[in-house]
Amino acid sequence: MKLLLVEDQAELAISVQNYFLKEGDVCEYANSFAAASEKLHGYEYDVLVLDIMLPDGNGLELLEIVKQNWPHMGVVIISAKNALDDKLKGLDLGADDYLPKPFHLAELNARTKAVFRRRLQKGENSLSLNEIKIDLDTHEVLVHDQLLDLTRKEFELLHYFLVNQRRLLTKQAIAEHLWGDYMDTADSFDFVYQHIKNLRKKIVKAGGNDYLETVYGVGYKIKSS
Amino acid sequence: MNLIIRVTLLFVLVSFVVFLIGGVISFGVMMRQVNSEQRHFLNERLDRVTRMIDRRKPEDTLRMNKLIIVPLDENLEESKSFRDTLVVHTQLERLEPHLKLDAIKNVGGRSYQVVMYDVIIEPDDIKEGLQESLIKIYLILLGAIFVLSFLVSMYTLRPFNQTLEAIKKFSIKDQDSKITFPKTGIAEFKRLNLFLTEMTEKVKSDYQSLKEFSENASHELQTPIAIIQGKLEVLMDSNKLEEDQINQISSAQHTLNRLKNLSTSLSILTRIENKEFDKVSGLNFSGEVERMLGEFKELIELKSITLTSEIEPDVSVEMDEVLCELLLTNLINNAIKHNWEDGSIHVSLTSEALEVTNSGPDLEIDPNELFQRFKKSNQSSGSLGLGLAIVKKICDLYSCRLEYSQANKQHTIKVALNH
Repeated sequence: MKLLLVEDQAELAISVQNYFLKEGDVCEYANSFAAASEKLHGYEYDVLVLDIMLPDGNGLELLEIVKQNWPHMGVVIISAKNALDDKLKGLDLGADDYLPKPFHLAELNARTKAVFRRRLQKGENSLSLNEIKIDLDTHEVLVHDQLLDLTRKEFELLHYFLVNQRRLLTKQAIAEHLWGDYMDTADSFDFVYQHIKNLRKKIVKAGGNDYLETVYGVGYKIKSS
Repeated sequence: MNLIIRVTLLFVLVSFVVFLIGGVISFGVMMRQVNSEQRHFLNERLDRVTRMIDRRKPEDTLRMNKLIIVPLDENLEESKSFRDTLVVHTQLERLEPHLKLDAIKNVGGRSYQVVMYDVIIEPDDIKEGLQESLIKIYLILLGAIFVLSFLVSMYTLRPFNQTLEAIKKFSIKDQDSKITFPKTGIAEFKRLNLFLTEMTEKVKSDYQSLKEFSENASHELQTPIAIIQGKLEVLMDSNKLEEDQINQISSAQHTLNRLKNLSTSLSILTRIENKEFDKVSGLNFSGEVERMLGEFKELIELKSITLTSEIEPDVSVEMDEVLCELLLTNLINNAIKHNWEDGSIHVSLTSEALEVTNSGPDLEIDPNELFQRFKKSNQSSGSLGLGLAIVKKICDLYSCRLEYSQANKQHTIKVALNH
């Protein structure tokens, strides 16, 4: 996946860029409206990750230009302006997703990948890990080609792990991914544990391996081997 | 009570007292004047009578109208005395009070007794006349006062009333509208208008900078938080970390998360105060409540809480959609957070009110402080103490009454719906 990150905060941009580079994606970075439009005209990108507040212009204007010239490009808006207006305006103008700052990098990765897949991978839209395969269109999970009965949250959890395969996902990042704004208590970590436990149980029961590894009680990760 | 009416009534009262005292004084003065005038008259008459005696030298007693002259046999010293007495009035044929002058006059070497009468003007007559004229004057004065107060409120106080109208229309949010006061020649009103103009300008600019600050504060805080969060995540992902280091990073992330929630909640509170959520529309409140309970179903079940609900269908409210969701989210979150494992939540909605009841430990704080910012029952808990403050702000905005009550470890928060 080739993506362009438009973000005026260099420190944040570097973290995001590193994250995507580690994923094996191509991630270029522009720190202003002008730099971004120059890059857009020079190269082709799959997804644009766009900050609305730019030093030399409004990201929403850039979004309009993108939608006119490159209608197939996926757009994820990231904004610190927690304004609902911007969110609605952005989605109206054709953005695919909106993520308020601050966000977890794993969350941005998952959202960006989802946009990328929806827009550009016509036909098969699935993720897999050895014997486990999930279909993102039908929301079906197969273990050894055997259909697994998962709840919606369990599916989202597995999806999150498969998108961020090499990463340590903290309980907090998982809780926010699953419950978003509705969750703000420390209790939520017990809920994460319960969901992981159920998911593990279901995969093992269907003959799959237990790939989920607990990392020092802080979070979870897919075992590398 | 209207200022003018109050002043007028006070004036009427005071002038009544003044008229009363003035009447008594006038009566005294008049009586004195009348008396002295009467004595003066009798004295002059005595002089005339003396001259007549001198001409006619009467030998016998002379009786004329209200005059008796008696020649005396012995010589006495001249004297003069006034007395009040009752005499039969010849025309009215009844006793009337008279002033009697009893004098001894020596004319041509002989002494005469001279007695004269004159009808006294009665005090009752003076009183009546005085009363009548005073009452008439008082009535004229009353009329004049009312006309005057009407004129004052119409013309003199008009600039003041216009100023009041202008202030009423003043909106702190409307930056473009400049408040204008009518021109006036009255110094006090001029000063008032000048003061108000300065004050409203100051309030507006303060409000504007406060608003800008809170808008920027949210943005300026979220960006560094996002950077720190990104750095911590990248750090955590490196493979060379010991358990202890990962725990340290994780703890830093938790704290950062609190900071993030704090800044978001404060910015929401500020934005509610600034009335930025103003897309009010008719919402199907019953539907919204059902939907939010659905969103929370899992969290409720995971804590083994029993949820029961009685929701009257088709209850509608006039509210901003975002605020409606915030209200319900915070109420339900609160009911889950301050609950026990295996506890219960009951939600009831009628067209009158929304009630959320949950089991849970007794409050450790004064229930009256429950809806204030940063007030939380358990100080060490991870909660910020802003959830119910947000609920309160939203209820205040829509003038809905918010009540808390508890009985048998059941806590109820009631939001009265305002139709």
